[in-house]
Amino acid sequence: MAATERPQRRTMGDRLYDAIFSNRVWRSIFRSGYPNTPRNQMLAVATNVFLHLHPTRIHRTHVKITHTFCLGGLSFFLFLGLTITGVLLMFYYVPSIERAYEDILALETDVRFGQLMRNMHRWMAHGMVLTVLMHMMRVFYTGAYKPPREFNWVVGVVLLVLTLLLSFTGYLLPWDQLALWAITVGTNMVGSAPILGEPNRFILVGGFQVGQAALTRFYALHVIGLPLLAAVFMTVHFWRIRRDGGLARPL
Amino acid sequence: MAATPQAQAQPSSAAVRGRQRRAREEELLVWPDLVFIEFISAVLFTILIVILAVMVDSVLLDRANAAITPNPSKAPWYFLNLQELLLHMHPALAGVVVPTVALIALGAIPYFDTSNEGQGEWLSTPNAWLLTKIGAGVGAVGTMLLIFFDASKHVQIYEWIANGELNANPDSPGFVAWPSWLSGIENMAAIRDNIAWPEWMFNVPLGDVLRTDLLGFPRVELDWNIPAFLVEQFIPVNTMIGLPLLLSFVAHRAGWAKTKRDHMVLQFSGFIAVYITLTIVGTFFRGEGLVLIPYTIFAHE
Ligand code: HEM
Repeated sequence: MAATERPQRRTMGDRLYDAIFSNRVWRSIFRSGYPNTPRNQMLAVATNVFLHLHPTRIHRTHVKITHTFCLGGLSFFLFLGLTITGVLLMFYYVPSIERAYEDILALETDVRFGQLMRNMHRWMAHGMVLTVLMHMMRVFYTGAYKPPREFNWVVGVVLLVLTLLLSFTGYLLPWDQLALWAITVGTNMVGSAPILGEPNRFILVGGFQVGQAALTRFYALHVIGLPLLAAVFMTVHFWRIRRDGGLARPL
Repeated sequence: MAATPQAQAQPSSAAVRGRQRRAREEELLVWPDLVFIEFISAVLFTILIVILAVMVDSVLLDRANAAITPNPSKAPWYFLNLQELLLHMHPALAGVVVPTVALIALGAIPYFDTSNEGQGEWLSTPNAWLLTKIGAGVGAVGTMLLIFFDASKHVQIYEWIANGELNANPDSPGFVAWPSWLSGIENMAAIRDNIAWPEWMFNVPLGDVLRTDLLGFPRVELDWNIPAFLVEQFIPVNTMIGLPLLLSFVAHRAGWAKTKRDHMVLQFSGFIAVYITLTIVGTFFRGEGLVLIPYTIFAHE
């Protein structure tokens, strides 16, 4: 629908919407009317803090699914889903090596929808690593890293690293054999670096072995440190997309 | 409705790069055109994830026990590419140097390829798709060949053909073995172990050479094992740098890759293919003791 189009005729639906959406409460929340005219449609985007991450109009090629395959958006969607399910999981989980494993067991057996929440959290986590990698590939193959988007590509690489670290720190939390040994193998890789490797591994793990100190650190990083950092970088990422003139187009 | 799509926008000067001329008729309103797509995909993916989560439970093994090391012990799947590398070179190289360099190189892509060629459309330079296929093919096949070399598959295939029988018994009469004069290239470790390096090369006292004590620093107490250095560092580093360079060189000479963007497409595709191949091998083809499986196909046993 082009912006130059005239307002549509008012239909039954519009009247009903007006009845619902024109009262004081509604108007106090959403200042613009129901978005059924181009003007209100633009206002709906521009006056909403969440929607205004978008511009009010975008180029027609960019809404084609095959241009982005929604991969950046999906990564963000999964990040939000992970936050929600993650908070719910935190209700039942204590990061102590005595309790962690039992808490996960209890979550799976005693907590209503506990198993479902854990499964969703885990599949979304795997999914996010995949979508972020695929998003990077789509950005590369559409040549969307070229000036003026160089820096946003770098921000993207940081987001990729943060995504991997988020997943890696979460891996330890169930405190089962898979968790312990995957993290042991992973942190040993860090330890193999010349000179700085071993001190770094020690800081990360908080000791010589993956134990309570490691669990505490990974938990803190997983539930607050890394998500906060990721949110900051995502903010920059989205802001830069708009500053750089929207998605890349052929010049 | 929108006017007929205009002819391709004129290439603009560098000064207005990225600030494309806005053709209003080419634009759509975000509400509803984009917001609805986002909403529908969010609903769709929520449903998909719920279905997946209902059908497939996540794993929970036994309680963590530092005394019982599972065999094989594996990192999370997205690090298995590094764990696979670890089997073929010095751990510091595979675990730290390669990923660090790879990430820096990845981040540096836009600073090398600053043209606006191929921007904003899928694989839009003339040879982009061809180069993607070449890069991906060479990356995947090359990686597999290197892994096969390190697992001595060439030795086993040679003996298979020479004996006319798969996994022939090496003790049987008339068994044709891999020629002993080639024993130095049975696999990577054989370069160090089976070649008759002069004895002194295993033990070069660097302290006597560097003499840092003359500068007032502590003396370097380090014995340099040259054959081990070759196998663990020198050859892997040169392979990882040399083969991609060779690929770019060939593509250049063949006339497939002409611009920086072409070489970027080639190298990036190669990198992704190597990454995926290493991940798949590390995930599905490394069994107990991280031996390559299905090992029995070519094994002596
Ligand atoms: C948590 C991870 C990430 C999130 C949530 C994210 C999100 C997004 C979103 C929503 C877009 C809009 C277009 C689209 O959906 O494709 C976008 C564009 C972009 N992303 Fe990401 N991204 C992430 C990681 C990355 C990575 C790893 C890279 C590259 C290394 C990257 C580089 C870019 C660039 C350059 C653009 C602009 C694309 C264009 O102009 O066409 N992002 N990102």
